[in-house]
Amino acid sequence: MIGTAEGSRILRKNSVEKKHANGERTLSTEELRARTQQLSLREQIERNHFLLERLYAASAGIIQALTEGDVHGAIGEILGNLIGSEEVAIFHYNKADRRFVRAWSVGVSNDMLQQFSKGAGMMGRTVSQGLTQFRDRQNQAHLLSCEKNLTASVVLKSSREVVGVILIFGLLPQKNGLEWVDYQLLKFLETYGALAIELHCLQKNAVKP
Amino acid sequence: MGLKKILLVDDSCTARLVNRMIFSQKSNYELISAVDGKEAVERARQDKPDLILMDIMMPRMTGLEACRVIKQDRSTSNIPVILLTTRGEESYVQEGYASGCSDYLTKPVNDAELLDLLKAYLGE
Repeated sequence: MIGTAEGSRILRKNSVEKKHANGERTLSTEELRARTQQLSLREQIERNHFLLERLYAASAGIIQALTEGDVHGAIGEILGNLIGSEEVAIFHYNKADRRFVRAWSVGVSNDMLQQFSKGAGMMGRTVSQGLTQFRDRQNQAHLLSCEKNLTASVVLKSSREVVGVILIFGLLPQKNGLEWVDYQLLKFLETYGALAIELHCLQKNAVKP
Repeated sequence: MGLKKILLVDDSCTARLVNRMIFSQKSNYELISAVDGKEAVERARQDKPDLILMDIMMPRMTGLEACRVIKQDRSTSNIPVILLTTRGEESYVQEGYASGCSDYLTKPVNDAELLDLLKAYLGE
């Protein structure tokens, strides 16, 4: 649940209880409706603020990584700290030879990642459709055995070309699933994560003698 | 009333930044930061913050070790330490409280929960 929503619920509960404690009259239906509308509007504003905070932190993390040279690590930090997964792999995709190259990973075994390097299943569909794939939206009968613990295969696109894929495996135990804000952060990574990786690769190649 | 000083300890700049933005919703907090447990211990001794919000998994010295050192040092032992970490497993929670932390929160952080907790320790 988004934190701002919880905050609003506490406010609502306190305000009604205070009225009763002071011996004041109960709110009329009209007043309750107005109060509910105010809370709903506040909730929308706070939800947006919650998202912008995280998008800004993600963007700043990537900008800093461009200077320090660890773009993949910065994407890993965003996934760990803001979305809630420490089982992640990033593959670069070479369109010319249709090859995936593992660029970075954390919390996933080499054996597991080798099963993904051929780009079958969700990962293959990510590239062929140019769209992020979520396991819970797939036909469960078509999932590969290695995809049981895969949460999402996120497309990385630069100038409409697929340049890579982020595989997100298990979420942290305290996460029940991806939430609204997580989907927005993944959308951000689809584009800006891809651009950062592309720039990083260009910079790396440029310094080679 | 004077500003309450909070020491943010995290090796992730993304995490430090998002916490800074959450705290900026309140005007009565002064924020200082450290990037690992070792620096946290130094800053706690030097700056005497009113509260420490610290990650666990960090290079040089983990948050658990830093919390133990801070709690054993008479000059810093009264500073509340809240551990804020991705590690939600029961064993980590138990180890966190054994190290002397006052509270244990898991990431991804929830704005309202964090601000309510700070209010409980630092007042309005």
